[in-house]
Amino acid sequence: MTNDRIVWKIAGQAGFGIKVAGQIFARTFARAGYHVFDYVEYPSLIRGGHNVITARVDRDPFYSHMLPVDVCVALDRASIEIHTSDMRSGGTIIHDPAATRFLPDQLARDDVCLCDVPLVEIAETNGSKIMANSVALGATIGMVGFDFDVLAGVLTDTYGRKGSAVVEANIAAARAGHDHVKSNCLECGHTLSGVKEAQPERIVIDGNEATAMGAVRAGCKLYAAYPMTPASSVLHFMAANERDYGLVVKHTEDEIAAVNMTIGAAFAGVRAMCATSGGGFSLMVEGLGLAGVSESPIVIGLFQRPGPGTGLPTWTAQGDLRFAIHAAQGEFPRIVLAPGDKQECFAFAAEAFNLAERFQTPVIIISDMFLQESHSTVDPSELDDVAIDRGKLVRDPRAVPSDGEYLKYEITDDGVSPRVPPGMGATLIANSYEHDEYGWATEDAATVRRMMDKRARKLDAAASVVPQSKLHGPPDSDVTIISWGSPKGPILEAMRWLEQESVSVNFLQVTTVHPFPAERVSQILEGAGVTICIETNQTGQLAGLIREHCLFDVDHRLGKYDGRPFFPEEIVQRVMEVTGSGRRQAAAG
Amino acid sequence: MVDAKLQPADFNTTVRPTWCPGCGNFSIWGATKNALAGLELEPADFAVVWGIGCHGNGADFLKAAGFHGLHGRALPVATGIRLANHRLKVIVDVGDGDGYGIGGNHFIHSMRRNLDLTLLGHNNQVYGLTTGQTSPTSDQGFATPSTPSGVIEKPVNPIALALASDCTFVARGFAGDIAHLSDLIAQGITHSGFALIDILQPCVTFNKRNTYQWFRERVYKLDDDGHDSTDKRAAFDRALEMETEERIGLGVFYREQRPTYEDGLPQLAAGPLVDQSIEDVDISGLIEHYA
Repeated sequence: MTNDRIVWKIAGQAGFGIKVAGQIFARTFARAGYHVFDYVEYPSLIRGGHNVITARVDRDPFYSHMLPVDVCVALDRASIEIHTSDMRSGGTIIHDPAATRFLPDQLARDDVCLCDVPLVEIAETNGSKIMANSVALGATIGMVGFDFDVLAGVLTDTYGRKGSAVVEANIAAARAGHDHVKSNCLECGHTLSGVKEAQPERIVIDGNEATAMGAVRAGCKLYAAYPMTPASSVLHFMAANERDYGLVVKHTEDEIAAVNMTIGAAFAGVRAMCATSGGGFSLMVEGLGLAGVSESPIVIGLFQRPGPGTGLPTWTAQGDLRFAIHAAQGEFPRIVLAPGDKQECFAFAAEAFNLAERFQTPVIIISDMFLQESHSTVDPSELDDVAIDRGKLVRDPRAVPSDGEYLKYEITDDGVSPRVPPGMGATLIANSYEHDEYGWATEDAATVRRMMDKRARKLDAAASVVPQSKLHGPPDSDVTIISWGSPKGPILEAMRWLEQESVSVNFLQVTTVHPFPAERVSQILEGAGVTICIETNQTGQLAGLIREHCLFDVDHRLGKYDGRPFFPEEIVQRVMEVTGSGRRQAAAG
Repeated sequence: MVDAKLQPADFNTTVRPTWCPGCGNFSIWGATKNALAGLELEPADFAVVWGIGCHGNGADFLKAAGFHGLHGRALPVATGIRLANHRLKVIVDVGDGDGYGIGGNHFIHSMRRNLDLTLLGHNNQVYGLTTGQTSPTSDQGFATPSTPSGVIEKPVNPIALALASDCTFVARGFAGDIAHLSDLIAQGITHSGFALIDILQPCVTFNKRNTYQWFRERVYKLDDDGHDSTDKRAAFDRALEMETEERIGLGVFYREQRPTYEDGLPQLAAGPLVDQSIEDVDISGLIEHYA
């Protein structure tokens, strides 16, 4: 049968090269003009354990993964047993009987085809069994009737730095897998219809790469971090590029050092960032407050995974929204941005530096494993629109008073003071203690109040220039979905399916979660039909913020807190359930 | 900038010190100003980072570009400043609880890192600002409100710890000898690499044990005793004297020239990061990598 879309899965134990196979698969179809999304599920182990990459390729733009799988490469017996239920009726499981010892009559479904491919034998014939993943890729390409040369090109680029012998062996192994399927598995073809029109060149990146590119583009000069999933690959990206882009990357002794180095560098006049997950952010909390009171412009990435404690290190969650907003003792301004897709990861990362410097206060980018470690095709022209705004940074030494009268914390209308870094001749003091305009510590009641008010005014000024909430879909709809962060993709996908079911639905995406956009959210919700708040947590933290700031109770919530992201199917099902429940009788409050 | 030679008093602010009369911090403040004036360091040439403790109140008394940070976290802030602008000399003032206790992790790793920082450890062997509890350097048996029956564990030996952590300039000064301390601080600032100057600082209010008199009965100058500061084993032996012989050496225990952390960063060769333009960073090379 001919399709515009293929959902493909590769599963097996860690150490099979599953991750690299997923990258090669995604890049192959992206180069041919397809839109691609893939995400990884893996345990916190280096070898063993069950690893899965699920990829969707589609001729038309789309927003997320989906459930029924067309072709699954099962590298071990357990993978067949686990994923048979994920298959579309008529789908195909590719496996190596020598490795799985699995017989066709053991398959739990009779509407799924089992396709035998001697992956290991073919790999060994071409040099080494470690190339079984390349054989599987070739078999997949053969099964979907795709152009093998595109795969060969991506294999060449992926393994090029290992030498031409490695490249040639992998291409030969993939070719043999392709040819085996072409001559042995004729009934279960899943032929893609192909891309007709010329498409713009697209790249395949994950959220961490998009975030890091945004930071580099914005002129980040110091990145300090301690490795922690799912933020670690930002550290790897920045470190790999530090010499070419003139930035310093420091793997620190702990996250406390990371945030304090970031503060030091920001104080000294460069753009600086650190990123971590909830556990590391917990260690950064005192530093977050230091950045607030010392008015240091830093950017912190908080990329969530399920907690508390060590939690589920390699899975996803949105349990830290309240934590990001409330972390650290005392009251001080902060800005919290929640990107929902790769383009927003890039744009918000870049904008975070502008906001940090304009308002001289910490900016937190809150995201999660599902967004940061899933890959999407992105048009590079969408990674271009960056303007640099350094706020009141003083860069001309002639503007610095030589008599030592510079006021680091000068009281101004918008709360933002001129910012003179050390090294320009001014004497100044940035202070963790409450301080006067010069920076000297004070306990004077009137001065304390003036400084608290000065800092608070910065957030008032920021509210109108931070990224604004987005309303997706028709303004007047029977159902309004409200969410933040990574569920954006599955929600937009679900909306397309709901439209086909003639359900009228729109989606309010809260992008800046602090300062909370109470006016805009209230305005949209007061006129809304049935409201449902969707977030990957247990307690409904955004729903609680809406209640707090808008005096509005959402009608329904859909929460998920098992480490897994939402599937669009789950959202469709929940919306269908609640549409029968009728419109709100009266607006609350 | 100015024709007249800098005087120590040029580094005074209009805020008058709040330390107890007789506090060792007065001497360290004075010695620091002597060293800065002697090296003719202008405000544009250096930055000072302070931890939290009695010593940290000095942030308001020393005229400089300063950052008064969190308890225990002065070193990473100083590291960030130094990486962002390595034209600056960066001096870090910490206390014993601040620098050797809660900030102990940063202390060890900053020394092996060998950034060009000068760490002044105001070591009064007691927590002054929180009214007299035991510190990581308190002697065994020292009775305090948090250890009323006396300290059970052994004290941190900052000099031995620095030697074991590959610190490239390890020295000890005494707040009771300002001239000697001024010279040590100047040497530390001039040293290329991480310099630790552990400073014996009597606390006249909360430490009635390690008094000026107690120290004077035990201190001697390493230079007067034939110590070779290029001999690391000899330095270790001298560092351990405090524990075994009740003898406390003052001066430079050890120094070596080793490439600094900054030397290992070619991206700093063209000049400080803070001078590099960020207006139009071209990321097309990054994008190409993912096509």
